Amino acid sequence: MSDSILDIQNLSLSFQGLTETVDVLDNINLSINRGERVALVGASGSGKSVIARIILGLLQSQKGAIVKGSVRFRGIELEAATGNQIESLRGREISMIFQDPTSSMNPVYKIGTIFHEILNRGTHNISKKLALIKASKLLEEVSITEFKRVLESYPFQLSGGMNQRVMIALALANKPALLIADEPGTALDVTVQAQTLKLMHNLVKKNNTAVLFISHNLGVVRQFADRVYVIYKGRIVESGSTSSIFENTKHPYTKALMNAVPKITSKSFFDASDDSSLFKQPAFHHKDREIGQ
Amino acid sequence: MKLKIKILLANPLSVMGLLLISLVFGSAIFADFITPFPLHKGAVVDFSNFNQAPNLTNIMGTDLVGRDLFTRIIYAFRISIMLGVVVLIISVPIGVFMGLLAGYSGGKLDFVLMRITDVFLSIPPLVLAMAVMGLLEPTLLNGMLAVTAMWWPWYTRLIYNLTRSEKEEGYVVAAEVVGASRWHVMFREILPNCTHAIITKMTLDFGFVILIVSSLSFLGLGVQAPTPDLGSMVAEGARYLPDSWWLTVFPGLAILIIVFGFNLVGDALRDMMDTDS
Repeated sequence: MSDSILDIQNLSLSFQGLTETVDVLDNINLSINRGERVALVGASGSGKSVIARIILGLLQSQKGAIVKGSVRFRGIELEAATGNQIESLRGREISMIFQDPTSSMNPVYKIGTIFHEILNRGTHNISKKLALIKASKLLEEVSITEFKRVLESYPFQLSGGMNQRVMIALALANKPALLIADEPGTALDVTVQAQTLKLMHNLVKKNNTAVLFISHNLGVVRQFADRVYVIYKGRIVESGSTSSIFENTKHPYTKALMNAVPKITSKSFFDASDDSSLFKQPAFHHKDREIGQ
Repeated sequence: MKLKIKILLANPLSVMGLLLISLVFGSAIFADFITPFPLHKGAVVDFSNFNQAPNLTNIMGTDLVGRDLFTRIIYAFRISIMLGVVVLIISVPIGVFMGLLAGYSGGKLDFVLMRITDVFLSIPPLVLAMAVMGLLEPTLLNGMLAVTAMWWPWYTRLIYNLTRSEKEEGYVVAAEVVGASRWHVMFREILPNCTHAIITKMTLDFGFVILIVSSLSFLGLGVQAPTPDLGSMVAEGARYLPDSWWLTVFPGLAILIIVFGFNLVGDALRDMMDTDS
Protein backbone atom coordinates (compact mmCIF):
# COMPACT_ATOMS: atom_id res chain seq x y z
CA MET A 1 0.00 0.00 0.00
CA SER A 2 2.97 2.33 -0.27
CA ASP A 3 1.57 3.44 -3.58
CA SER A 4 -1.56 4.77 -2.02
CA ILE A 5 -1.92 8.52 -1.92
CA LEU A 6 -5.25 8.73 -0.22
CA ASP A 7 -6.80 6.08 1.92
CA ILE A 8 -10.18 6.53 3.51
CA GLN A 9 -11.39 3.87 5.86
CA ASN A 10 -14.66 3.39 7.70
CA LEU A 11 -15.49 7.04 7.29
CA SER A 12 -18.85 8.09 8.55
CA LEU A 13 -20.31 11.50 9.01
CA SER A 14 -23.39 12.73 10.72
CA PHE A 15 -24.71 16.12 11.53
CA GLN A 16 -25.97 16.90 14.97
CA GLY A 17 -29.22 18.78 14.68
CA LEU A 18 -31.22 20.28 17.50
CA THR A 19 -33.30 17.21 18.12
CA GLU A 20 -31.78 14.49 16.01
CA THR A 21 -28.63 13.47 14.25
CA VAL A 22 -28.68 13.07 10.50
CA ASP A 23 -26.40 10.43 9.05
CA VAL A 24 -24.76 11.63 5.89
CA LEU A 25 -21.99 9.16 5.22
CA ASP A 26 -21.91 5.59 6.30
CA ASN A 27 -18.79 3.50 6.40
CA ILE A 28 -17.04 4.87 3.35
CA ASN A 29 -13.94 3.07 2.12
CA LEU A 30 -12.06 4.67 -0.69
CA SER A 31 -8.48 4.72 -1.82
CA ILE A 32 -6.55 6.42 -4.54
CA ASN A 33 -3.14 5.36 -5.78
CA ARG A 34 -0.40 7.55 -7.10
CA GLY A 35 -1.35 9.06 -10.43
CA GLU A 36 -4.67 7.32 -10.50
CA ARG A 37 -7.84 9.02 -11.64
CA VAL A 38 -10.73 7.97 -9.52
CA ALA A 39 -14.29 9.11 -9.99
CA LEU A 40 -16.93 9.37 -7.34
CA VAL A 41 -20.38 9.22 -8.89
CA GLY A 42 -23.73 9.73 -7.33
CA ALA A 43 -26.89 11.74 -7.33
CA SER A 44 -27.20 15.14 -5.72
CA GLY A 45 -27.19 14.88 -1.97
CA SER A 46 -25.58 11.47 -1.92
CA GLY A 47 -22.59 12.78 -0.02
CA LYS A 48 -20.01 13.29 -2.75
CA SER A 49 -19.00 16.81 -1.90
CA VAL A 50 -18.80 16.28 1.84
CA ILE A 51 -16.17 13.60 1.23
CA ALA A 52 -14.07 16.22 -0.55
CA ARG A 53 -14.60 18.62 2.29
CA ILE A 54 -13.58 16.02 4.83
CA ILE A 55 -10.39 15.21 2.94
CA LEU A 56 -9.52 18.90 3.00
CA GLY A 57 -10.42 19.15 6.66
CA LEU A 58 -12.97 21.86 6.04
CA LEU A 59 -15.84 20.02 7.63
CA GLN A 60 -14.20 18.83 10.81
CA SER A 61 -14.05 22.30 12.25
CA GLN A 62 -17.71 22.87 11.62
CA LYS A 63 -20.07 22.85 14.51
CA GLY A 64 -22.35 19.85 14.63
CA ALA A 65 -20.39 17.70 12.20
CA ILE A 66 -19.38 14.35 13.64
CA VAL A 67 -16.68 12.67 11.60
CA LYS A 68 -15.56 9.16 12.39
CA GLY A 69 -13.09 6.90 10.68
CA SER A 70 -9.69 7.50 9.21
CA VAL A 71 -8.48 9.59 6.33
CA ARG A 72 -4.86 9.01 5.48
CA PHE A 73 -2.91 11.08 3.04
CA ARG A 74 0.42 9.45 2.20
CA GLY A 75 0.15 7.53 5.43
CA ILE A 76 -0.42 10.65 7.52
CA GLU A 77 -3.58 10.44 9.53
CA LEU A 78 -5.27 13.75 8.77
CA GLU A 79 -7.40 13.64 11.88
CA ALA A 80 -4.30 13.46 14.05
CA ALA A 81 -2.30 15.96 12.04
CA THR A 82 -1.81 19.36 13.57
CA GLY A 83 -3.33 22.48 12.07
CA ASN A 84 0.03 23.50 10.67
CA GLN A 85 0.59 20.15 9.05
CA ILE A 86 -2.75 20.28 7.33
CA GLU A 87 -2.22 23.85 6.26
CA SER A 88 1.08 22.92 4.68
CA LEU A 89 -0.52 20.00 2.84
CA ARG A 90 -3.29 22.09 1.43
CA GLY A 91 -2.34 23.97 -1.66
CA ARG A 92 0.93 22.11 -2.02
CA GLU A 93 0.10 18.43 -1.87
CA ILE A 94 -3.65 18.59 -2.18
CA SER A 95 -5.48 21.10 -4.29
CA MET A 96 -9.00 21.49 -5.48
CA ILE A 97 -11.05 22.61 -8.44
CA PHE A 98 -14.47 23.99 -7.75
CA GLN A 99 -17.82 23.89 -9.47
CA ASP A 100 -17.98 27.55 -10.27
CA PRO A 101 -14.59 28.85 -11.38
CA THR A 102 -15.50 32.53 -11.50
CA SER A 103 -16.68 32.85 -7.94
CA SER A 104 -13.73 30.84 -6.67
CA MET A 105 -11.33 33.65 -7.40
CA ASN A 106 -11.25 36.84 -5.39
CA PRO A 107 -12.70 39.57 -7.58
CA VAL A 108 -10.39 42.24 -6.23
CA TYR A 109 -7.19 40.61 -7.44
CA LYS A 110 -5.84 40.22 -10.93
CA ILE A 111 -5.18 36.68 -12.16
CA GLY A 112 -1.45 37.42 -12.02
CA THR A 113 -1.67 38.31 -8.34
CA ILE A 114 -3.66 35.18 -7.60
CA PHE A 115 -0.99 33.09 -9.34
CA HIS A 116 1.71 34.84 -7.36
CA GLU A 117 -0.02 33.99 -4.12
CA ILE A 118 -0.58 30.35 -5.01
CA LEU A 119 2.97 29.88 -6.28
CA ASN A 120 4.22 31.54 -3.12
CA ARG A 121 2.74 28.66 -1.18
CA GLY A 122 4.81 26.20 -3.14
CA THR A 123 8.04 28.19 -3.24
CA HIS A 124 8.42 30.68 -0.47
CA ASN A 125 9.29 34.28 -1.30
CA ILE A 126 9.01 33.76 -5.00
CA SER A 127 9.37 37.10 -6.75
CA LYS A 128 6.42 38.52 -8.60
CA LYS A 129 8.39 38.50 -11.83
CA LEU A 130 9.32 34.85 -11.59
CA ALA A 131 5.81 33.96 -10.54
CA LEU A 132 4.40 35.66 -13.62
CA ILE A 133 6.82 33.82 -15.89
CA LYS A 134 5.82 30.55 -14.28
CA ALA A 135 2.18 31.50 -14.50
CA SER A 136 2.46 32.20 -18.23
CA LYS A 137 3.92 28.75 -18.74
CA LEU A 138 1.13 27.20 -16.72
CA LEU A 139 -1.46 29.11 -18.69
CA GLU A 140 0.14 27.97 -21.93
CA GLU A 141 -0.29 24.42 -20.76
CA VAL A 142 -4.02 24.95 -20.49
CA SER A 143 -4.07 26.36 -24.01
CA ILE A 144 -4.31 30.01 -23.08
CA THR A 145 -2.08 31.70 -25.58
CA GLU A 146 -2.87 35.30 -24.72
CA PHE A 147 -1.59 34.82 -21.19
CA LYS A 148 -0.38 38.41 -20.95
CA ARG A 149 -3.89 39.73 -21.18
CA VAL A 150 -5.26 37.05 -18.89
CA LEU A 151 -2.70 37.73 -16.17
CA GLU A 152 -3.60 41.40 -16.31
CA SER A 153 -7.33 40.71 -16.06
CA TYR A 154 -9.66 40.37 -13.13
CA PRO A 155 -11.59 37.10 -12.85
CA PHE A 156 -14.88 38.74 -13.76
CA GLN A 157 -13.41 40.07 -16.98
CA LEU A 158 -12.85 36.56 -18.32
CA SER A 159 -15.36 34.08 -19.63
CA GLY A 160 -16.41 31.07 -17.60
CA GLY A 161 -14.46 28.68 -19.78
CA MET A 162 -11.36 30.83 -19.55
CA ASN A 163 -11.70 31.00 -15.77
CA GLN A 164 -12.11 27.26 -15.62
CA ARG A 165 -8.82 26.80 -17.42
CA VAL A 166 -7.18 29.34 -15.15
CA MET A 167 -8.56 27.36 -12.21
CA ILE A 168 -7.01 24.17 -13.55
CA ALA A 169 -3.69 25.92 -14.05
CA LEU A 170 -3.89 27.30 -10.51
CA ALA A 171 -4.79 23.96 -9.01
CA LEU A 172 -1.86 22.27 -10.72
CA ALA A 173 0.56 25.15 -10.17
CA ASN A 174 2.37 23.55 -7.25
CA LYS A 175 2.31 20.08 -8.78
CA PRO A 176 0.11 18.54 -6.12
CA ALA A 177 0.02 14.81 -5.52
CA LEU A 178 -3.74 14.83 -5.26
CA LEU A 179 -6.25 16.96 -7.06
CA ILE A 180 -9.83 17.00 -5.94
CA ALA A 181 -12.19 18.11 -8.66
CA ASP A 182 -15.65 18.74 -7.26
CA GLU A 183 -17.98 18.69 -10.25
CA PRO A 184 -15.65 20.87 -12.26
CA GLY A 185 -17.39 23.02 -14.79
CA THR A 186 -20.92 22.13 -13.82
CA ALA A 187 -21.59 25.85 -14.08
CA LEU A 188 -20.35 25.86 -17.68
CA ASP A 189 -21.93 24.74 -20.90
CA VAL A 190 -21.23 21.29 -22.24
CA THR A 191 -18.79 22.12 -25.02
CA VAL A 192 -16.59 24.26 -22.82
CA GLN A 193 -16.76 21.63 -20.13
CA ALA A 194 -15.62 18.92 -22.52
CA GLN A 195 -12.74 21.06 -23.70
CA THR A 196 -11.47 21.89 -20.26
CA LEU A 197 -11.84 18.36 -19.01
CA LYS A 198 -9.74 17.13 -21.87
CA LEU A 199 -7.09 19.64 -20.94
CA MET A 200 -7.23 18.59 -17.33
CA HIS A 201 -7.02 14.95 -18.30
CA ASN A 202 -3.88 15.50 -20.34
CA LEU A 203 -2.26 17.60 -17.67
CA VAL A 204 -2.80 15.25 -14.77
CA LYS A 205 -1.57 12.40 -16.91
CA LYS A 206 1.56 14.36 -17.71
CA ASN A 207 2.20 15.37 -14.10
CA ASN A 208 1.19 12.01 -12.71
CA THR A 209 -1.31 13.66 -10.40
CA ALA A 210 -3.87 11.53 -8.64
CA VAL A 211 -7.38 12.86 -9.07
CA LEU A 212 -10.55 12.41 -7.13
CA PHE A 213 -13.13 13.37 -9.67
CA ILE A 214 -16.52 14.07 -8.20
CA SER A 215 -19.28 14.13 -10.74
CA HIS A 216 -22.75 13.10 -11.66
CA ASN A 217 -21.97 13.09 -15.33
CA LEU A 218 -21.42 9.48 -16.31
CA GLY A 219 -20.32 10.31 -19.82
CA VAL A 220 -17.48 12.44 -18.53
CA VAL A 221 -16.56 9.91 -15.90
CA ARG A 222 -16.24 7.14 -18.43
CA GLN A 223 -13.71 9.13 -20.43
CA PHE A 224 -11.83 10.50 -17.49
CA ALA A 225 -11.50 7.93 -14.76
CA ASP A 226 -9.55 4.73 -14.27
CA ARG A 227 -11.70 3.61 -11.42
CA VAL A 228 -15.20 4.49 -10.31
CA TYR A 229 -16.94 4.54 -6.97
CA VAL A 230 -20.71 4.77 -7.03
CA ILE A 231 -22.23 6.38 -4.00
CA TYR A 232 -25.87 6.24 -3.01
CA LYS A 233 -27.32 7.92 0.05
CA GLY A 234 -24.00 8.09 1.81
CA ARG A 235 -22.90 4.58 1.04
CA ILE A 236 -20.57 3.29 -1.59
CA VAL A 237 -22.65 0.71 -3.39
CA GLU A 238 -20.31 -0.33 -6.14
CA SER A 239 -16.74 0.19 -7.15
CA GLY A 240 -14.38 -1.08 -9.75
CA SER A 241 -12.49 -0.19 -12.86
CA THR A 242 -14.32 2.08 -15.24
CA SER A 243 -14.72 -0.57 -17.88
CA SER A 244 -16.09 -3.13 -15.48
CA ILE A 245 -18.56 -0.69 -14.01
CA PHE A 246 -19.82 0.46 -17.36
CA GLU A 247 -19.83 -2.84 -19.16
CA ASN A 248 -20.63 -5.18 -16.40
CA THR A 249 -22.89 -3.22 -14.11
CA LYS A 250 -23.83 -5.20 -11.06
CA HIS A 251 -25.60 -2.98 -8.67
CA PRO A 252 -29.22 -1.97 -9.37
CA TYR A 253 -28.57 1.67 -8.46
CA THR A 254 -25.70 1.89 -10.88
CA LYS A 255 -27.96 0.39 -13.51
CA ALA A 256 -30.62 2.98 -12.78
CA LEU A 257 -27.97 5.67 -12.97
CA MET A 258 -26.85 4.42 -16.37
CA ASN A 259 -30.40 4.31 -17.62
CA ALA A 260 -30.92 7.85 -16.54
CA VAL A 261 -28.26 9.16 -18.89
CA PRO A 262 -30.18 11.10 -21.51
CA LYS A 263 -29.70 9.82 -25.02
CA ILE A 264 -29.77 12.15 -27.94
CA THR A 265 -31.68 9.61 -29.99
CA SER A 266 -34.42 8.97 -27.47
CA LYS A 267 -37.69 10.70 -28.19
CA SER A 268 -39.15 10.97 -24.72
CA PHE A 269 -37.87 11.78 -21.30
CA PHE A 270 -35.91 9.02 -19.71
CA ASP A 271 -37.33 7.16 -16.84
CA ALA A 272 -35.23 8.00 -13.82
CA SER A 273 -35.92 5.88 -10.83
CA ASP A 274 -34.71 6.81 -7.42
CA ASP A 275 -35.15 5.35 -4.02
CA SER A 276 -35.72 1.70 -4.64
CA SER A 277 -35.20 -0.64 -1.74
CA LEU A 278 -32.81 -2.56 -3.93
CA PHE A 279 -30.46 0.42 -4.09
CA LYS A 280 -29.70 0.18 -0.43
CA GLN A 281 -28.13 -3.22 -0.84
CA PRO A 282 -24.45 -2.58 -1.29
CA ALA A 283 -22.73 -4.90 -3.71
CA PHE A 284 -19.65 -5.12 -1.57
CA HIS A 285 -18.16 -4.33 1.80
CA HIS A 286 -20.30 -3.13 4.68
CA LYS A 287 -19.89 -6.67 5.90
CA ASP A 288 -19.71 -5.53 9.46
CA ARG A 289 -22.98 -3.70 9.39
CA GLU A 290 -26.57 -4.69 9.08
CA ILE A 291 -28.30 -3.10 6.16
CA GLY A 292 -30.95 -0.57 6.93
CA GLN A 293 -29.65 0.41 10.28
CA MET B 1 -11.54 53.86 -13.12
CA LYS B 2 -11.73 56.66 -15.69
CA LEU B 3 -15.30 55.64 -16.33
CA LYS B 4 -16.05 55.80 -12.64
CA ILE B 5 -14.73 59.34 -12.40
CA LYS B 6 -16.83 60.26 -15.42
CA ILE B 7 -19.91 58.88 -13.69
CA LEU B 8 -19.00 60.88 -10.61
CA LEU B 9 -18.59 64.08 -12.56
CA ALA B 10 -21.78 63.56 -14.53
CA ASN B 11 -23.89 64.09 -11.41
CA PRO B 12 -24.15 67.81 -10.56
CA LEU B 13 -24.79 67.03 -6.90
CA SER B 14 -21.54 65.07 -6.56
CA VAL B 15 -19.65 67.87 -8.27
CA MET B 16 -21.18 70.32 -5.84
CA GLY B 17 -20.15 68.08 -2.94
CA LEU B 18 -16.62 67.85 -4.26
CA LEU B 19 -16.48 71.62 -4.66
CA LEU B 20 -17.72 72.20 -1.11
CA ILE B 21 -15.18 69.77 0.31
CA SER B 22 -12.32 71.24 -1.68
CA LEU B 23 -13.41 74.68 -0.52
CA VAL B 24 -13.31 73.58 3.11
CA PHE B 25 -10.02 71.71 2.80
CA GLY B 26 -8.42 74.39 0.67
CA SER B 27 -9.31 77.20 3.03
CA ALA B 28 -8.22 75.16 6.04
CA ILE B 29 -4.82 74.39 4.51
CA PHE B 30 -4.17 77.94 3.32
CA ALA B 31 -5.82 79.60 6.30
CA ASP B 32 -2.70 81.63 7.09
CA PHE B 33 -2.76 83.26 3.66
CA ILE B 34 -6.41 83.84 2.95
CA THR B 35 -7.67 85.06 6.29
CA PRO B 36 -7.51 88.83 6.87
CA PHE B 37 -6.53 88.59 10.54
CA PRO B 38 -4.60 85.36 11.17
CA LEU B 39 -3.81 86.44 14.71
CA HIS B 40 -7.47 86.36 15.61
CA LYS B 41 -7.46 82.59 15.83
CA GLY B 42 -6.02 82.89 19.33
CA ALA B 43 -6.69 84.93 22.44
CA VAL B 44 -6.77 88.38 20.92
CA VAL B 45 -8.92 91.12 22.35
CA ASP B 46 -9.95 94.19 20.40
CA PHE B 47 -12.70 95.88 22.32
CA SER B 48 -12.71 98.86 20.04
CA ASN B 49 -14.69 96.95 17.53
CA PHE B 50 -16.46 94.09 19.25
CA ASN B 51 -19.74 92.61 18.07
CA GLN B 52 -19.70 94.37 14.72
CA ALA B 53 -22.23 93.43 12.08
CA PRO B 54 -20.76 92.21 8.76
CA ASN B 55 -18.99 95.04 6.98
CA LEU B 56 -16.20 95.51 4.45
CA THR B 57 -13.29 94.87 6.83
CA ASN B 58 -14.95 92.02 8.68
CA ILE B 59 -17.09 90.35 6.07
CA MET B 60 -18.78 88.13 8.63
CA GLY B 61 -18.68 90.58 11.45
CA THR B 62 -16.72 90.33 14.70
CA ASP B 63 -17.34 88.37 17.85
CA LEU B 64 -17.83 89.54 21.41
CA VAL B 65 -14.17 90.39 21.95
CA GLY B 66 -13.68 91.97 18.56
CA ARG B 67 -12.12 89.07 16.64
CA ASP B 68 -12.85 88.64 12.94
CA LEU B 69 -15.45 85.92 12.59
CA PHE B 70 -14.42 84.93 9.07
CA THR B 71 -10.87 84.28 10.24
CA ARG B 72 -12.07 82.22 13.15
CA ILE B 73 -14.38 80.12 11.00
CA ILE B 74 -11.61 79.28 8.58
CA TYR B 75 -9.35 78.24 11.45
CA ALA B 76 -12.21 76.27 12.95
CA PHE B 77 -12.30 74.25 9.72
CA ARG B 78 -8.79 73.12 10.56
CA ILE B 79 -9.80 71.84 13.97
CA SER B 80 -12.92 70.18 12.59
CA ILE B 81 -11.05 68.40 9.82
CA MET B 82 -8.34 67.30 12.20
CA LEU B 83 -10.94 65.95 14.60
CA GLY B 84 -12.75 64.11 11.84
CA VAL B 85 -9.55 62.57 10.51
CA VAL B 86 -8.23 61.54 13.90
CA VAL B 87 -11.50 60.06 15.10
CA LEU B 88 -11.92 58.03 11.93
CA ILE B 89 -8.28 56.97 11.78
CA ILE B 90 -8.56 55.51 15.27
CA SER B 91 -12.08 54.15 15.26
CA VAL B 92 -12.27 52.64 11.78
CA PRO B 93 -9.36 50.18 12.15
CA ILE B 94 -10.64 49.11 15.57
CA GLY B 95 -14.17 48.63 14.29
CA VAL B 96 -13.07 46.87 11.10
CA PHE B 97 -10.76 44.52 12.97
CA MET B 98 -13.41 43.59 15.51
CA GLY B 99 -15.99 43.06 12.78
CA LEU B 100 -13.69 40.88 10.71
CA LEU B 101 -12.65 38.83 13.69
CA ALA B 102 -16.18 38.30 14.95
CA GLY B 103 -17.64 37.64 11.52
CA TYR B 104 -14.98 35.24 10.36
CA SER B 105 -14.39 33.36 13.60
CA GLY B 106 -18.00 32.81 14.56
CA GLY B 107 -18.80 30.88 17.69
CA LYS B 108 -18.02 32.23 21.12
CA LEU B 109 -15.68 34.99 19.99
CA ASP B 110 -18.39 36.23 17.65
CA PHE B 111 -20.89 36.25 20.49
CA VAL B 112 -18.67 38.07 22.95
CA LEU B 113 -17.43 40.71 20.52
CA MET B 114 -20.83 41.44 19.07
CA ARG B 115 -22.49 41.71 22.48
CA ILE B 116 -19.85 44.24 23.54
CA THR B 117 -20.59 46.12 20.34
CA ASP B 118 -24.30 45.95 21.04
CA VAL B 119 -23.77 47.49 24.45
CA PHE B 120 -21.96 50.42 22.90
CA LEU B 121 -24.58 50.75 20.20
CA SER B 122 -27.41 50.78 22.70
CA ILE B 123 -26.18 53.91 24.43
CA PRO B 124 -27.22 57.11 22.63
CA PRO B 125 -24.00 58.44 21.05
CA LEU B 126 -24.16 61.94 22.46
CA VAL B 127 -24.92 60.66 25.95
CA LEU B 128 -21.95 58.31 25.82
CA ALA B 129 -19.66 61.05 24.62
CA MET B 130 -20.96 63.38 27.31
CA ALA B 131 -20.39 60.75 29.96
CA VAL B 132 -16.80 60.22 28.83
CA MET B 133 -16.23 63.96 28.72
CA GLY B 134 -17.80 64.39 32.10
CA LEU B 135 -15.48 61.80 33.60
CA LEU B 136 -12.39 63.20 31.96
CA GLU B 137 -11.34 66.79 31.52
CA PRO B 138 -13.08 68.54 28.66
CA THR B 139 -10.10 68.92 26.37
CA LEU B 140 -9.65 68.49 22.64
CA LEU B 141 -7.89 65.15 23.10
CA ASN B 142 -10.59 63.76 25.37
CA GLY B 143 -13.20 65.00 22.95
CA MET B 144 -11.64 62.90 20.25
CA LEU B 145 -11.42 59.97 22.63
CA ALA B 146 -15.08 60.25 23.53
CA VAL B 147 -16.23 60.40 19.94
CA THR B 148 -13.90 57.56 18.98
CA ALA B 149 -15.35 55.40 21.73
CA MET B 150 -18.79 55.76 20.27
CA TRP B 151 -17.80 55.51 16.64
CA TRP B 152 -16.10 52.14 16.22
CA PRO B 153 -19.15 49.92 16.94
CA TRP B 154 -20.83 51.10 13.75
CA TYR B 155 -17.92 49.84 11.72
CA THR B 156 -17.87 46.59 13.63
CA ARG B 157 -21.52 46.06 12.79
CA LEU B 158 -21.02 46.95 9.13
CA ILE B 159 -17.95 44.78 8.59
CA TYR B 160 -19.39 41.95 10.65
CA ASN B 161 -22.38 41.66 8.35
CA LEU B 162 -20.27 41.96 5.23
CA THR B 163 -17.84 39.35 6.50
CA ARG B 164 -20.63 36.97 7.29
CA SER B 165 -21.83 37.09 3.71
CA GLU B 166 -18.39 37.18 2.08
CA LYS B 167 -17.33 34.18 4.14
CA GLU B 168 -19.64 31.95 2.14
CA GLU B 169 -18.23 33.11 -1.19
CA GLY B 170 -16.35 30.61 -3.33
CA TYR B 171 -13.09 32.48 -3.22
CA VAL B 172 -12.92 32.34 0.57
CA VAL B 173 -13.39 28.57 0.55
CA ALA B 174 -10.86 28.34 -2.28
CA ALA B 175 -8.34 30.28 -0.21
CA GLU B 176 -8.92 28.06 2.80
CA VAL B 177 -8.46 25.02 0.61
CA VAL B 178 -5.05 26.16 -0.58
CA GLY B 179 -4.05 26.51 3.04
CA ALA B 180 -4.35 30.22 3.66
CA SER B 181 -4.16 31.18 7.32
CA ARG B 182 -7.12 32.82 9.02
CA TRP B 183 -5.34 36.17 9.07
CA HIS B 184 -4.65 35.90 5.39
CA VAL B 185 -8.28 35.09 4.64
CA MET B 186 -9.50 37.91 6.86
CA PHE B 187 -7.20 40.65 5.67
CA ARG B 188 -6.23 39.68 2.15
CA GLU B 189 -9.39 38.01 0.89
CA ILE B 190 -12.36 39.40 2.78
CA LEU B 191 -11.19 42.90 3.70
CA PRO B 192 -10.44 44.03 0.12
CA ASN B 193 -14.00 43.10 -0.75
CA CYS B 194 -15.30 45.34 2.02
CA THR B 195 -13.22 48.43 1.24
CA HIS B 196 -15.90 50.02 -0.90
CA ALA B 197 -18.33 49.96 2.02
CA ILE B 198 -15.70 51.28 4.43
CA ILE B 199 -14.70 54.16 2.18
CA THR B 200 -18.30 55.14 1.56
CA LYS B 201 -19.19 55.03 5.22
CA MET B 202 -16.07 56.96 6.17
CA THR B 203 -16.91 59.73 3.75
CA LEU B 204 -20.44 59.98 5.07
CA ASP B 205 -19.22 59.78 8.64
CA PHE B 206 -16.69 62.54 8.28
CA GLY B 207 -19.49 65.06 8.26
CA PHE B 208 -21.27 63.38 11.14
CA VAL B 209 -18.15 63.26 13.30
CA ILE B 210 -17.74 66.99 12.80
CA LEU B 211 -21.38 67.46 13.66
CA ILE B 212 -21.09 65.43 16.87
CA VAL B 213 -17.91 67.18 17.93
CA SER B 214 -19.61 70.51 17.27
CA SER B 215 -22.55 69.38 19.37
CA LEU B 216 -20.19 68.52 22.20
CA SER B 217 -18.52 71.90 21.88
CA PHE B 218 -21.93 73.52 21.80
CA LEU B 219 -22.61 71.92 25.17
CA GLY B 220 -19.28 73.21 26.39
CA LEU B 221 -17.68 69.79 26.54
CA GLY B 222 -15.51 69.90 23.49
CA VAL B 223 -12.88 72.23 22.19
CA GLN B 224 -12.12 74.94 24.73
CA ALA B 225 -11.51 78.63 24.18
CA PRO B 226 -9.60 80.32 22.75
CA THR B 227 -9.26 77.62 20.08
CA PRO B 228 -11.79 78.47 17.39
CA ASP B 229 -14.47 75.82 17.02
CA LEU B 230 -17.70 75.99 15.11
CA GLY B 231 -19.80 74.37 17.82
CA SER B 232 -18.63 76.63 20.62
CA MET B 233 -18.95 79.66 18.36
CA VAL B 234 -22.61 78.84 17.78
CA ALA B 235 -23.09 78.29 21.50
CA GLU B 236 -21.53 81.64 22.38
CA GLY B 237 -23.58 83.49 19.83
CA ALA B 238 -26.85 81.79 20.71
CA ARG B 239 -27.24 84.00 23.74
CA TYR B 240 -27.24 87.13 21.57
CA LEU B 241 -29.84 86.06 19.07
CA PRO B 242 -31.53 87.59 17.20
CA ASP B 243 -29.71 90.92 17.45
CA SER B 244 -26.18 89.66 16.76
CA TRP B 245 -27.35 87.06 14.27
CA TRP B 246 -23.96 86.80 12.52
CA LEU B 247 -22.42 85.19 15.59
CA THR B 248 -24.50 82.03 15.08
CA VAL B 249 -25.53 82.08 11.46
CA PHE B 250 -22.07 82.02 9.90
CA PRO B 251 -20.57 79.25 12.04
CA GLY B 252 -23.82 77.34 11.61
CA LEU B 253 -23.58 77.71 7.85
CA ALA B 254 -19.99 76.53 8.02
CA ILE B 255 -21.07 73.32 9.77
CA LEU B 256 -23.78 72.90 7.19
CA ILE B 257 -21.30 73.26 4.33
CA ILE B 258 -18.97 70.59 5.73
CA VAL B 259 -21.65 68.05 6.57
CA PHE B 260 -23.58 68.66 3.37
CA GLY B 261 -20.44 68.42 1.24
CA PHE B 262 -19.34 65.13 2.75
CA ASN B 263 -22.83 63.71 2.51
CA LEU B 264 -23.06 64.52 -1.17
CA VAL B 265 -19.69 62.98 -1.89
CA GLY B 266 -20.53 59.96 0.25
CA ASP B 267 -23.73 59.38 -1.68
CA ALA B 268 -21.88 59.78 -4.94
CA LEU B 269 -19.23 57.26 -3.85
CA ARG B 270 -21.91 54.81 -2.81
CA ASP B 271 -23.56 55.06 -6.22
CA MET B 272 -20.19 54.72 -7.88
CA MET B 273 -19.26 51.60 -5.95
CA ASP B 274 -22.67 50.07 -6.50
CA THR B 275 -22.16 49.90 -10.24
CA ASP B 276 -19.41 47.36 -9.57
CA SER B 277 -21.66 44.38 -9.96
